[in-house]
Formats: sequence, structure tokens, C-alpha cells
Amino acid sequence: MKKALDLVQRIGAHPDSRCWFVSWSPNGALLASCGGDKALRIWGREGDSWVCKTVLQDGHQRTVRKVAWSPCGNYLASASFDATTCIWKKKDDDFESLTVLEGHENEVKCVAWAPSGNLLATCSRDKSVWVWEVDEDEEYECVTVLNSHTQDVKHVAWHPTKELLASASYDNNICIYKEEDDDWECQATLQGHTSTVWSLCFDAAGEKMASCSDDRTVKIWKEYPSESAQSDLSWKCVCTLSGYHGRTVYDVAWCRLTGALATASGDDAVRVFKEDVTASPDEPVFSLVAQATKAHSQDVNCVSWNPKEAGLLASCSDDGEIAIWRFEEEE
Amino acid sequence: FRGEGYQEGFRKGTHRGLQNGRRNGASHGAKLSSEISFYYGFAVTWKCLLECNVDNKSRKRLRALEALLILIQKSPLDDPQSMKLQEDTEKLRAKFRQVCSMLNVPTDFKDYIKTAEGTSF
Repeated sequence: MKKALDLVQRIGAHPDSRCWFVSWSPNGALLASCGGDKALRIWGREGDSWVCKTVLQDGHQRTVRKVAWSPCGNYLASASFDATTCIWKKKDDDFESLTVLEGHENEVKCVAWAPSGNLLATCSRDKSVWVWEVDEDEEYECVTVLNSHTQDVKHVAWHPTKELLASASYDNNICIYKEEDDDWECQATLQGHTSTVWSLCFDAAGEKMASCSDDRTVKIWKEYPSESAQSDLSWKCVCTLSGYHGRTVYDVAWCRLTGALATASGDDAVRVFKEDVTASPDEPVFSLVAQATKAHSQDVNCVSWNPKEAGLLASCSDDGEIAIWRFEEEE
Repeated sequence: FRGEGYQEGFRKGTHRGLQNGRRNGASHGAKLSSEISFYYGFAVTWKCLLECNVDNKSRKRLRALEALLILIQKSPLDDPQSMKLQEDTEKLRAKFRQVCSMLNVPTDFKDYIKTAEGTSF
């Protein structure tokens, strides 16, 4: 079975700057990118190629670090080093700034929408994770400030089916949060990585979570019913992928359609792993099935699978470029 | 003579150490209570301002202010060696930030309080 990672298109997305993050819209038709040039760009397909449809330039005073689409696809949230998170509303083919969420003391590192569309999570270098609630009047309110990490929080991600939040930090830990008695609390702290955890993501069913780190490994975590009566679930590390990445692994993305796992690394490469079907589910085995060793000319910051088109992968880099790839599994 | 010198030095050191410890403790205690009292006064004032409003938003804000006041009342301020004090102070600070966000008040109170950071036992 031959597998390949073919380059579809390379885009000079954020000229003279870093491209920090790319995110596909829920319907897979648009790609949002953000970068060191303080701008957000929306890319769409025209014929066979991807072109820039919109540039959102005046939303932030500093680097835009991450961008996230709401589950309905009508809103965008952008997290910036200027300590704010901007919410944009889709208006015809353009986006206008709806509101600005303030409160973090310094750089906001990540923003993520819950699958319900009613909650938003942000995290920052100020070591905290904030959960915001949206009401029918498009009003955003902070419902909790969580201080479970002892260092910069790099990433937050929501569970696909449960109201569960995970965060990754410079303190080498992953925290899992749940709403208990009308307030959010840290339900578990997952230790294992020996350096900064840069990113994490859940698989389609939400039974497994992948995390990646400055320690050059990717860890797979699985949820188990806990022995003690207190919490109903605990997460254990069931697999560690080491020896594949020459440098820090900055991002990991689990394809919700195919189950393929993509990674972005400081060694300029993009890699794709797949779980061996023969291994036991409690001791999964992942194999490297495709890689683009010189995917970019500098650190690859992000990888993102298209949610509707299987095998379509986007990556972006410190070199300011976005690359679109096709991952093929030929029989 | 060495023995006597040692005894004298030890006594003087103990005395000095106690003085320093007392001063240090008092200073940290003052900082912490000044910070928490600030939150208390802040919450009580806002509660008075919003109590008469019946709209949904004000009610949500009042609930958050109540939660902040309860946290203050429950924290073991009389027991500086309590492990819970550290945890509760963190929770208090986080709750205060959340309340400020709800009230649309910027949390730049540097002129009024100096948080007692780095207090460890």
C-alpha cells in the first residue's frame, strides 16, 4: 500500500512575516490564516487554485497567533499577542469585527470554539485559561478564569462530543477541565512530556487525544473509567511516537474523516501517521506513512486537515507560506 | 572563650532572626489583607450599585459578585500556615478577574493594591 504526500499549491500568504496558523471552515470551502503581519487572510478555491478572498488587517495591534471558525461557520475568532481576542461576523463575502474580548494580562496564545457554538475558550502567557459564553444577543461573557498551569498556556482544544476542555502548557503538562456544580474546574493533570506541550487534539470520537511537544515526541492519550469513586474518567498515555521528529513538534492534527494524524515540526517537515489496525486498542501502534521532509524552508507551525475533503491538508510556516497537500492512500 | 562567643552569637542570631521573621510576616500579612479587603470593598460597592436592577445582565453580575464575596468569607485568613490559603487566594484572584471582565472594568489597580505574590510557606 503506497502512501504519498503531494504538494498541491504553495502560497506566499503573509509576506515578510511568519504564518502562524491555518484553519479550514466547517464546510471545507475556505481556509483562514493568520500571522506576524497582524492580519487574517481568507483563502478560497477558484478553479484549481487557492486565492486570497479577504484580508482582515485592522483587528489587532500585534501578531495574530491563532484563528478559529465557529461550528456554524458564520464567525471567526482571532487570538493575538496584543492580549485581545477578536470576534468577526461573516457579512456576505466579508467579515466585520463584532466585538473584542479583553481580560488576559498578556499575549493570547489560542482560541477555540466548543462544538455547541455557545462557548469559547482562550489561553494566554498569563498562565490562565478563560471560558466565555455567548448568548442569543451575540454578547460574550467570561464565565470562569482557570489557573491550573504554572507557565504560559500554549493551546486549548474542546472535546468533540462532551463539554470538556483540554489545555497544553510550557509547564510540560496537559490539563483537562469540566463544568462541575455550576463552575469549571481542572479535573485532571496529565504529566508525561518532558518539555513544553505545544498543541493537542482529539480524534473524531473523542476517545483519544494526541499531544505534541518540544521534547520531539507525540503522545497518544486514552480515556479510561477511573477506579476511584471521585472522578468518572482518567486519561493515560498509551503510545509515544519518538525518533521521528528532528526538532520540536509544534502542531498535531487528527483527521476526523480518515483517522490519519499529521504533525508540524521545527525540522521543516510535515509527517502523516496512521494507526495499525492489527494492534490492541489499549496499546495502539502508529506508523509513519508519509512525509514531506522539506515541506517548508523554515519551522512548520501548523497542520490542518480539511473537514470535508479526505486527504486535503494545509500547513504553514515561519517562512510566511501556506502549503496545500494531498495525502493519498493508493491500494 | 570560643564556646561563650558561640553562645552569644547564637542568641543574637536567634533574636535577629525572630525580628526579621516578624517584620517579614507582618509585611506579607498586610499586603495580603490589603489585597483581599480591596476585593471585598469592590464587591460590596458593585453589589449596592446593581442590587436595584432587574435585567438579566445585572442578575448574572450580582451572582458573580456574590460568589466572590462567599469566597472571601470562606478563605482561612486567620491561619497563615494553612495550605488552603494559597489555593483560595489564587481562586479569589481568578474570580476577581472574571468579575471585572463581566463588569467591563479594566483590572489595572496597580495604584491601589500590590498583590502579595511570591508568598510561600
